[in-house]
Amino acid sequence: MTDSKTRLVEPRQALYHPPLRFDVLHLPLLGPLLRWRWSRLVFQLALLAVAALIVYDGFSGPQLAPANSATVLAWVHYRGLVILALLLVGNLFCFACPFTLPRTLARKLSISGRRLPSALRNKWVSIAALMSIFWLYEWLDLWASPLLTAWVALAYFLVAFTLEAIFTESPFCKYVCPLGAFNFVYSTASPLQIRAVEASVCRSCKGKECINGSETVLGCGTELFVPTLRSNMDCVFCLDCARACPYDNVALAPRSPLTEASERRWPARWDLAFLIVSLTFMGLLNAFGMVPPVYTLLDKMRAALGLHSDAWPLLLTYVFGTLLLPSVVLFGSGWLSARLGLQRGRGAARRFAARYAPAFVPMGFGIWLAHYGFHFAIGGLTIVPVLQSLALDHGIGQFGAQPNWELSYLLPADWILPFQVFAVLLGFAAALYSLGRRALKRDVEPARALLEILPWALALTLITIASLSIFNLPMEMRGTSQMGNR
Amino acid sequence: MRPASHLLLLALLLATAACTRRSPRADQAPEVDLLLEVEPSPPAVGQAVLYLILTSSDGIPIEGAELSVRVDMTHAGMQPVLRDAVHLGEGRYQVPFEWTMNGNWILTVEGTLPDGRKLLRTFALSVGGSGR
Repeated sequence: MTDSKTRLVEPRQALYHPPLRFDVLHLPLLGPLLRWRWSRLVFQLALLAVAALIVYDGFSGPQLAPANSATVLAWVHYRGLVILALLLVGNLFCFACPFTLPRTLARKLSISGRRLPSALRNKWVSIAALMSIFWLYEWLDLWASPLLTAWVALAYFLVAFTLEAIFTESPFCKYVCPLGAFNFVYSTASPLQIRAVEASVCRSCKGKECINGSETVLGCGTELFVPTLRSNMDCVFCLDCARACPYDNVALAPRSPLTEASERRWPARWDLAFLIVSLTFMGLLNAFGMVPPVYTLLDKMRAALGLHSDAWPLLLTYVFGTLLLPSVVLFGSGWLSARLGLQRGRGAARRFAARYAPAFVPMGFGIWLAHYGFHFAIGGLTIVPVLQSLALDHGIGQFGAQPNWELSYLLPADWILPFQVFAVLLGFAAALYSLGRRALKRDVEPARALLEILPWALALTLITIASLSIFNLPMEMRGTSQMGNR
Repeated sequence: MRPASHLLLLALLLATAACTRRSPRADQAPEVDLLLEVEPSPPAVGQAVLYLILTSSDGIPIEGAELSVRVDMTHAGMQPVLRDAVHLGEGRYQVPFEWTMNGNWILTVEGTLPDGRKLLRTFALSVGGSGR
């Protein structure tokens, strides 16, 4: 325990102690399983096997995305299941993340246990990583390439291992990983959260094992302190805090999914607020990438720039859609909101952005649920014939002599658009509710409070209209990996 | 076992599995010409007919081949369309079809020639719009 870690464990804010309704960690069967020292490792090994399959089939299997488990598992099942898990439970993927398994080996190689430089200990790196992965996804048609998908999986292992070997505080998870950034943001709308059972127990605790670790269990890798925990942001759901606590005083408890979006005081940080707003626009753009207007736009851009490749037109589109537009919305609405709220002075725009940007969490959630849910709903069962085919390639005929390529849809086709519309409208309604609650909690006249949320409400309305328009357009799927045009 | 040993073992298992994996089906008749015609052309969403014209290197129509097509979109999770071709004569084989979506499609023709050799060809098509 270093001096810097000792300073971390002294609570500097009031202990968080809402009423505890029930504790998942003490439910029959499930509770003991989750509190078992090796439960996380078991789930991580399961996902490691899936990652190994993605790498293996991506390199050695048919280079046709619908027929290869690498692309089907990564772009259909992972995306669909992660958003459903966040909606119904919490950050289950980070709980079972296989990319941090080499951490054990990396820690043995750790040079000095130093921290990531302070200039990088924020969300800007993960925002850049998110933008990069989405741009690469579109430019290189990752969704159409089993081989490139396998390389992406390998790259994740390599980067995670490298960062864990050099730095402490789980820097890959907390500051770099784009999957983690996505999961952290939307887990703030999940129905479960880690919290202390009794605040008095934490007050009298000397060892603070939840963050410092015990003799057998590591403490929180992202250095969150349970008694003051008010958010799922940066919580990887590893449950090490619960396993390390000598007093069994850590619970995994239910809460309203809109608690953080509508009530919690977020840190007044531009990087956090930008991450939330930008992710909403990334959701919009990711869906836009599959409808006819984007192909017309890219054609025009290529012609205007005299290019054959999509790289620069896509980059410009992503810079505009995930950097410039969110900046206008965030900084513009923050500034305008402060003015409408009769607040001026240094930091006013940042404080108002921190106050109201969290309302974009449910909005973005709705858009991502509509998109990822779409792919999962139309193709969830295709993994069956893909795995049958993989088995037959290895002489295993027990799962069928012929793959059943009739299997595809999880939901009837005519349910899917209504589901998408419902997801987007629900996200919009939750976002407006969150805005309104935040506004009315201000110590000002209600009319003034509602006035200051107008810019945010307008932005959310326009985003909703745009996303509903996109989801109502006929879809096209254009992958140039097979067409020879990069 | 140390973690490094686990990873090494996993890598060895994968390499072994890769060596035992059945090789992708190969085209045993590369000298045979297979031409694809699509009606309507250019392809558009809706009903269509695919014509496969099979000829030898001398331009002689090949009759009596058993041909089937598998048509996939390029995105994972899309259900393929599987159809058997109907022999029309004069080396022409017909596949009634429906394009369900605009975008890029990959058409794989597999078949068995009258002499028993396997045929495998792939065509890339764009349905609707100008594409990327």
